[in-house]
Amino acid sequence: MSDRQLVLKRVRASTRHRVDHPGPHQPPELPGGWGTFAAALEGVGGRVHGPFDSGQLAGRLSAWLEQRADGGRVVAVEAAASRLGPGPWELAEVEADPHSFEGTAVAVLLGGVAVAENGAVAVEGRLAPQRALPFLCRHLVLLVSTDAVVPDLHTAFHRLPNDALAHHHLTWISGPSKTADIEQTLVYGAHGPLTLDVFGMEP
Amino acid sequence: MSQDLDRRARELLPELAVERHDAAVFDLRRRRDEAVASVPDWEPLRERAAAIKRHTLDHLDVLLERFEERARAAGAVVHWARDAEAHNLLVARLLEERDIARVVKSKSMLTEECGLNAFLAKRGFDVVDTDLGERIVQLGDEPPSHIIVPAIHRTRGEIGALFHRKMGSPAGESDPERLTRVARRDLRGRFLAAEAGITGVNFAVAETGSLVVVTNEGNADLGMCLPPIHIACLGIEKLIPTMEDLPVFLRLLARSATGQPITAYTSVVTGPRPGAELHVVLVDNGRSDLLASENHRSALSCIRCGACLNTCPVYRRAGGHAYGTAVPGPIGAVLAPGLRDDAGARALPHASSLCGSCTAVCPVGIDLHDQLLAWRREKPSTGPLERLALETAAVVMGHPRLYRLLGRVAGRLWPALARRWPGNPASHWLDSRELPEHPGLSFSQRWIRERDRG
Repeated sequence: MSDRQLVLKRVRASTRHRVDHPGPHQPPELPGGWGTFAAALEGVGGRVHGPFDSGQLAGRLSAWLEQRADGGRVVAVEAAASRLGPGPWELAEVEADPHSFEGTAVAVLLGGVAVAENGAVAVEGRLAPQRALPFLCRHLVLLVSTDAVVPDLHTAFHRLPNDALAHHHLTWISGPSKTADIEQTLVYGAHGPLTLDVFGMEP
Repeated sequence: MSQDLDRRARELLPELAVERHDAAVFDLRRRRDEAVASVPDWEPLRERAAAIKRHTLDHLDVLLERFEERARAAGAVVHWARDAEAHNLLVARLLEERDIARVVKSKSMLTEECGLNAFLAKRGFDVVDTDLGERIVQLGDEPPSHIIVPAIHRTRGEIGALFHRKMGSPAGESDPERLTRVARRDLRGRFLAAEAGITGVNFAVAETGSLVVVTNEGNADLGMCLPPIHIACLGIEKLIPTMEDLPVFLRLLARSATGQPITAYTSVVTGPRPGAELHVVLVDNGRSDLLASENHRSALSCIRCGACLNTCPVYRRAGGHAYGTAVPGPIGAVLAPGLRDDAGARALPHASSLCGSCTAVCPVGIDLHDQLLAWRREKPSTGPLERLALETAAVVMGHPRLYRLLGRVAGRLWPALARRWPGNPASHWLDSRELPEHPGLSFSQRWIRERDRG
């Protein structure tokens, strides 16, 4: 008997298909809005800028990059660059070898749904096919629209576009990479980015 | 009795380290309490999670088949392993077939349980644990002592000395931030050179065939997105029915573990990335036996948050290594006798005061302390001497005259029994306790005297 058959046979002997699924959880009305999201994000070590209107956004980001990138390589994904227009960033190639993003100083991505209860932002494969980019860069910037903020994680999953899973990966990012494995001392930048900055966009 | 655990704890966690360990672990419990207090629907959420898991375990066969079908449709290769050995051989074969030598791994309690690292090392593979805590214990050649914070038993000084020996950090360096940077630099190179990434899985969604992997460091993501092959290993109990169920568990998991509202990275992966391979290994290794037990199947609901470890007075003072299992603490003591049958596993349910704190914090409503008690009945671990003592006690209790006679004898022997001397059968018991002074009179004698006086 194959391992598959054996395991399924053993499992089948102990399942009766009598316990119904309890149905979806209905969360109470939790506080939403940009301010709540910003506070949650700062609580997990992120920084929040704006929100800015479309006329200001690229300029504010460029000014900030001048200090932060320190002359290093700045890479933006197509979805973010098309919101920003031209600026001091190169376009991330879709077909690029993931290893080629090593050495990126700042990566700029377009975020999707943002969650007020935990500061998480959805990074979808559709908007950021370069899966390695937000993990190899030293600093990560996410552009988040103020009307993308929802109060809780249940609503956030409902708000995802229908094809959110069709592009291999969907990652909720909440703050910079972190560890507390050495005597419970919080250190940012364990393996991924040392910082996370969210630039708010007015719709 | 839990003498083995007691002895190991004394050997493995020196007296001075106990207080520090206790405080560090309980701090996680405190953070958990603060996070929980900020979630108004915490109790309904816990009940919902428990109900989803009950449904899942009762439909596990159809959910496993559905997951397999959907994951395959998305381009993953799905494998099954009946036990640890089958799992280890399967992973080794996947690597050998591709002539792979360099492997990066992210945290997985399942592969700890299967002893995958040692198995692969023996066959000449270079396997690097990438979670910082796991890397520390790997370099120190010891197992993790906590499921969320693997090196919680080590001080910064010990870690600094280890990094100095193994990674050439400056002698005497013990600053956590600088030590973390040393590990980051070393491991970044290993990520970039890796030919395969092995990860655990937090949840597998049957409806979509997706894998959900959470970390704070981002190490699992680097392991998944750089090498050309990703091997994901999971126990068959990791299934959840639908994507709509996922936020229920995600809202509970990080808050219960470290008090964070969510981990820094929560990745939902459906199929391989373009041009790469994804292999999923579904492992039984005793889980179907646990599923067959009405008393203990709910232990398969565990989402490995570690909250029951952090609150447990025995774990906090004994440390994880004393348990001798991949998963320590109350959940480890509940799982061990179900997954294997040896004296060590049988003894673990006795290492508990049954205070119920574990049950009170469990985010998926596992009745941990009731299960510990149930194991004591189902798999007794008393030795012949203890059994004789208990049987004798039953006879004595049933005969009042004999009871009174032996009570007087015991009163005479008391001063000798209450002291430690070589050969005293009560010596072990007295290691950590003191007997009170003998009152001189038994309760009955005193009762009669007081009544006559009155």
